[in-house]
Amino acid sequence: MTISLEGVGYRYAGATRPSLLEIDLDLADGVVIGLAGPSEAGKTTLCLVASGLAPRTVGGQIRGRITLDGEDIDAWPMHRLSQRIGIGFQNPSTQLSQVAATVFEEVAFGPMNLGVARDEVVARTWAALDSLGIDGLAERDPQRLSGGPQQLVAIAGLLAMRPEHLVLDEPTAQLDPAGTRLVAEAIARLAADGASILVAEQKTDLLAEVASTVIVLAEGRIALRGPASQVLADPRLVELGVAEPAAIRLRRAAVAAGVDDDRLKGALRG
Amino acid sequence: MAGRDRLTDPPPGADRGVPDFVGRPGPSAYHRLNPLTKATLATVTAIAAVVLGGLIGPIVLVTAAVIVPAVVGRVLGRLIRTALLLALPIAVSAFLVNLFFFPGAETVLLRVGPITATAEGLGFALEILVRILAISGAVTLFYLTTRPADLVVDLERRGVSPRVGFVANASVQTVPAMVERAAQITAAQRARGMDTEGSIWRRIRGVVPIVGPVILGSIAEVEERTMALEARGFTRPGRRTLLWSPPDSGLESLARWALLAALLALIVGRVTGIWA
Amino acid sequence: MLVRWIAALVAFVIVILIGMVTIGDFGTGVDAGNFFDTEGANSFALIGAIALVVAFVVYAAAEYAQTGGFASIASQFDTRTIVLMPIAVAINIILGATVANALKIPIYLDSIGTILVGALAGPVAGALTGFVTNTLWTYVIPPPFQSGPAAAFGIVAVVIGVIAGLAGRAGWLRPRPNRSSGELAGGGIIALAIVVGLAVYAYTRFYGTGFEFFNPDNSDPVFIVIGWLIGLIFVAFVVGFLGLLFVRRDLTVAYVTVAGVVTGIIAALISAPISANVFGGVTGGGTDFLVAAFRQAGSDLQAATFQQGLLSDPVDKLVTFFVVYLILAAMARRTKARFPQGERLLEDGEAGSAEEGEWRGATA
Repeated sequence: MTISLEGVGYRYAGATRPSLLEIDLDLADGVVIGLAGPSEAGKTTLCLVASGLAPRTVGGQIRGRITLDGEDIDAWPMHRLSQRIGIGFQNPSTQLSQVAATVFEEVAFGPMNLGVARDEVVARTWAALDSLGIDGLAERDPQRLSGGPQQLVAIAGLLAMRPEHLVLDEPTAQLDPAGTRLVAEAIARLAADGASILVAEQKTDLLAEVASTVIVLAEGRIALRGPASQVLADPRLVELGVAEPAAIRLRRAAVAAGVDDDRLKGALRG
Repeated sequence: MAGRDRLTDPPPGADRGVPDFVGRPGPSAYHRLNPLTKATLATVTAIAAVVLGGLIGPIVLVTAAVIVPAVVGRVLGRLIRTALLLALPIAVSAFLVNLFFFPGAETVLLRVGPITATAEGLGFALEILVRILAISGAVTLFYLTTRPADLVVDLERRGVSPRVGFVANASVQTVPAMVERAAQITAAQRARGMDTEGSIWRRIRGVVPIVGPVILGSIAEVEERTMALEARGFTRPGRRTLLWSPPDSGLESLARWALLAALLALIVGRVTGIWA
Repeated sequence: MLVRWIAALVAFVIVILIGMVTIGDFGTGVDAGNFFDTEGANSFALIGAIALVVAFVVYAAAEYAQTGGFASIASQFDTRTIVLMPIAVAINIILGATVANALKIPIYLDSIGTILVGALAGPVAGALTGFVTNTLWTYVIPPPFQSGPAAAFGIVAVVIGVIAGLAGRAGWLRPRPNRSSGELAGGGIIALAIVVGLAVYAYTRFYGTGFEFFNPDNSDPVFIVIGWLIGLIFVAFVVGFLGLLFVRRDLTVAYVTVAGVVTGIIAALISAPISANVFGGVTGGGTDFLVAAFRQAGSDLQAATFQQGLLSDPVDKLVTFFVVYLILAAMARRTKARFPQGERLLEDGEAGSAEEGEWRGATA
């Protein structure tokens, strides 16, 4: 399944200037796309638009076309769209439903809402917990978990909806280093298993790890686009307001200090 | 997603059903009654305590409808402690107010300065006390033997909208969460030198800088929570699947209707003066 | 559709008649052996409120019978409202419990959430918030916040939510800043006239006989103190009201004041019979002392609870409406606008941008 955004622009309600302009993007099967850019560049807005929350839940106005396998989704209600595209946010605790006493019930919340048969609900829940490796947390109270595990529970809740595509808006932004590691590894595992993900992050190291393609947004438009290794090594990143991945910075510093670049490449590869 | 099936299909051979910690049955026969039955009993008892009036009626009622089930449920000790705690502020106020401030009373028992305690006042005070204890007992029995989520699930099974159920469940979870947030803000304010103990005026002034951030902070989360819920299919109209629901029986259904009928008869009897 | 409204109206009238007949038969005065010790007239507000709820239930039942669902009611509850309601319920319970248990002042402060939801989402949402608050407060919330009496006053909370919803719908809570002094003065005078008029009526009806607050012959010091206190509160109210009106230059201050006082009076009228008949006038908060004081002066139980209520409730609801007004002022335009009644809470001319050209809003 492919989600296509053609010439998409978006303007928040009551805003004079649009937050997104002329976005052309294809989210295809099995591809992990990284979304980078400084704050206020439109990463969150793009995530909301791609998942359908904008303009449905958030209000505002949109222009351009968004299609799912060629079909225009303008008239699709949110609950229909949520079964095709899942979206996760930065703050793990505000994603909790607040009505589940255990992680199991929390993850089951989505499929329960969909009215799917009970056996199916249970099967999906266990599968989602397994794919993130958190079936051991099934009995825990989700409100009492720390940031990293809580974020995994939120993502599991999305997976239980069986979406074809996952959009993650800065999933590690509010996590401590341990939590960040946990979620980053989980995303990497999902990616290795062939998941289709659009992940927005300020932490370009994470994008370097999981993304095959990287898009850089600046002031609501796409500024750079290409294979991850290429875009993340692009010298224009810094002036666009994006932090380079640590590995790139290290290499640059080493070369500047006089280390031979070819020998460095050989050493790093080894 | 290309890997979607790999990610979200159950591994072959695995057959885990609904885990047993979901909807665990209660530890006693009374706990295992349907939540609606327990709620009906609590409400009927509370209303009957008011309708009956006097002293004997409520005491008999409490024994039958509160003490006996509490013994069956093995929660008698906790019940007494919690019900008394609940009733205490009201009971003390009610007792003192009625004892000393009962107008038109004749028989003086005690004179303390300008206020007098009277026998009629004592009588009325005892009546109110017993009534309050009955209500506290009935309500506490329900609270101790029923998980609120169980009642909500039961009501949802009977047709109440899942949104109403959501509001009830989420409210129960939000109260302690908000208290915790208030505690965090209080600690932060205290670290900045705010005074939280002392006279009424100080305490009122101390509460204000906490209330603002707590309320506005909670409201600020509404947008995020709305998006998260809608991303999980919350807007889908109609009923949703339930993982489990509390069992019910024809006998219990009969019992509920019988209780309501008895209450109605009691009210009609009292109001029309048949039963003095 | 019409069938439902007619059925509801019929139910409303029937309940009122039953109520008046039942309660009107008994005399006044405290009679321990008797159940309803109320003049029919004094309980009319409670009867009216019960009738309102019954009528609503009949309406809903009729809709269910006709359509198998509750579409016309449920459609007022969008996700955003559903998310706000638990927060509102929690605010109600926590503040209400804190004030009643810890501060012991004769106000309640347990309706801020109800009125906020009513203003933003409408009367039915506000009513449900009130109902859920009071029901959970008694049955489900653990000590120390649990309140035994709360569930009995559920109907008061329901009516408060309805009034707030109607006030919001009528645009009463819409900010009206930067008005001319003439407009402010006009609004101020009207608001004061209404409040003073209501106060005078309430005074003669409920406090008139045997009440000599400032009478030097009255040897009871309690009453002289209360009398001066009431006088002081009233003066403070007038000064504060005028000050706020002219400092903020927001005409809505006048609307909020009237809404608060009227809601308070209605709430007092409905809750007094419940308090008197069910709890003997005592519910564990700071208001009990007021009731005691009035009984000391010679009022019977019924009159004393009315007298206490008519002092506490208008003050309480006035403060509550102001707090809600301040909360709404602190909320971003965008946040308010997405609520069902949010548009009516925005300043004129604050509406969102128009759709033009290729820009389109949500269709789903």
